[in-house]
Amino acid sequence: MSAVVLLGSADTRRSVYLQRAAAETGISFTLMDWRKLPEGWPGREAQHQLFVKIDPPLWDSCRLGELGELTADYRRALAELEYFAGQRQTDFLNTPAAIAALLDKRTCKHMLKTAGLPVTEMLDGEFKEAGALLEGMKTRGWHQVFIKPVYGSGAAGVSALRIRQGGDRMALYTCAAMDATQGIVNTKRLRHLEDPGEILPLLEEILRLDCIVERWYAKAAYRDCCYDLRAVLQDGHMDYLLARLSKGPITNLQLNNRPLDIARLGLADTMPKVLEDICNRAMACFPGLRSAGIDLLLERDSLRPRIIEMNGQGDLIYQDIFHENRIYRHQAQMMKRWMQAEDGAVT
Amino acid sequence: MQGSESEHEALRGRRYGKRAAELEQTAARWTDRGVMQGSESEHEALRGRRYGKRAAELEWRENMVESKKYCLEYEEYEEKGLEPDYVIEKILADPDFPGLKELIIGDWGAWEGSCQPIIDGIVERADTFSHIEKLFIGDMDYEECEVSWINQGDYSKLWAALPGLRELTIKGSQDLELGEISHDRLESLTIICGGLGSDVIASIQKAKLPALKKLLLYIGIEDYGFDGNADTIQKLLEEAAFPSLTYLGIVDSEMQDEIVPIVLDSKFMNQIETLDLSLGTLTDQGGTILLERLPSFSGVKKLDVHYHYLSDEMMKKLQELPMEVDVSEQEKAYEYKGETYYSAMLTE
Repeated sequence: MSAVVLLGSADTRRSVYLQRAAAETGISFTLMDWRKLPEGWPGREAQHQLFVKIDPPLWDSCRLGELGELTADYRRALAELEYFAGQRQTDFLNTPAAIAALLDKRTCKHMLKTAGLPVTEMLDGEFKEAGALLEGMKTRGWHQVFIKPVYGSGAAGVSALRIRQGGDRMALYTCAAMDATQGIVNTKRLRHLEDPGEILPLLEEILRLDCIVERWYAKAAYRDCCYDLRAVLQDGHMDYLLARLSKGPITNLQLNNRPLDIARLGLADTMPKVLEDICNRAMACFPGLRSAGIDLLLERDSLRPRIIEMNGQGDLIYQDIFHENRIYRHQAQMMKRWMQAEDGAVT
Repeated sequence: MQGSESEHEALRGRRYGKRAAELEQTAARWTDRGVMQGSESEHEALRGRRYGKRAAELEWRENMVESKKYCLEYEEYEEKGLEPDYVIEKILADPDFPGLKELIIGDWGAWEGSCQPIIDGIVERADTFSHIEKLFIGDMDYEECEVSWINQGDYSKLWAALPGLRELTIKGSQDLELGEISHDRLESLTIICGGLGSDVIASIQKAKLPALKKLLLYIGIEDYGFDGNADTIQKLLEEAAFPSLTYLGIVDSEMQDEIVPIVLDSKFMNQIETLDLSLGTLTDQGGTILLERLPSFSGVKKLDVHYHYLSDEMMKKLQELPMEVDVSEQEKAYEYKGETYYSAMLTE
């Protein structure tokens, strides 16, 4: 017997729209809620062959200081799943190990760069305080950088820092803010600061989160917005490619940035293929990864593509689920093929 | 893809795509900013769209390029250490340059260095640049440089050097000097900034621009260079003489309500067709004055107040005026600890 399990959360868009796609495809799956995982795996005692898709657990904390702990818990759970999978016949859409590898932005970026892929360059070293960061930028000759917590998604804690050589002026774009009772929090509202007296203390707090520092490239522009791209790759095929327009430097759809059909950007017809090839090479760096959301930028003027980051659970695109639901339909097809292969093998 | 046919195709596509995107973006940008008007902007937008469609299909025809942007790219200024005057070298080395009508200068490492070498480069080779009709110096956004960090330059010698110039757009006001402005053919002058200095306003006030049809000034705020007040604007409009003016834009101000009666009292109201009071902190206070007084100026065909703090009711009333009215981009005031804050669009 074969069975498909979604480890996720009920009544989320992820589970609801995958459910719709599954019904259309003529399959069904069991939803296993993350909160019930400690009670035991469904069919653990039975001899089912399992295919598991892992959605991210729900987090509702705005405290950025909790990011590390939350991610550590999540990584432990993924490691347990990996161990469990080794005990019995289990296949995954994305293996727990692959998902975990992509959670760590620093390691992920190193692996991509080592493979010769075009990525947004990182400033070497770990910067725990603002002074060291400013010195590092000066040494490298970079005047503007992105600062991102190693673990985190949805632009949580992501900040863009710009300094004028000599350090007499600086500007920080960030959603992070200090709260008297909760410490550093994600406000989900982009602020623009220019007072060093305000920037530097906040920067110290952000850097305590364990951050990577990347060069801030001027992104390609569409009218008076800049944009980056979110590609969703599944089994070697680019199922979705979307531009995310912003009037600020942080382009994240959770900040109410505007999505735009890539066809309206006036890019060369060859560009999607170029991006698909880059994304497929990136996915090949992570065994066990069959589905990923990959953020890319196109450099201003040259339109040279660079991978910003990858997400092993970056398959939720509102513009897709509310229209074709192409991504989850493809996943349902992948599940169906697996079931047919397993059941065929049994009979 | 490395060293393969597909890479070649990708690069070729990138070049075409870039050209097409640039053209479309240029058209859109100039249209959005109101630099072009009516049929001209539509024409440019259509041209950009047409190129966008055809560029992927057809071989590039060099003689179709009329507008082009030049800048120092990241590697050029951060890693190779090239200076702003390298932009002039790039322009002169470009086979498209002799056929251009519009020259757009993007980032030259503007947070660190002035564009003076670029202005001087044009002035020193005035004959070589004599075919340029439209010039934009400082076309860069928040991805490249804070507007208030853009180191501008002294344009005093440009007026005589480019007698055929019809449109000039300048972005950034730090160290901006216009000197004594005298030009017989200039039809459009736009200054985009976070704060316009009173010395620059004084130059415009005294300018001899008999052909000027469009004047668009971002006033901005004190923190970024505006060191005047409502009287500064009043004096500008009282003393300036632009007999051909049909488009007056006093925008991006945090005293937009105060500016409304000053503009309506000015002599230009009897000659302009477009009144642009957009991008500022216009509230119902200014809206009420516009509502009462604007109908008496029968020549005004368009009111642009996009990006504003008007109420829904006032927006509706203004839209009923007998003219084209743009009330898009309604903003909400920010309240914090009992205080209400309004901000203009460009204050960086």
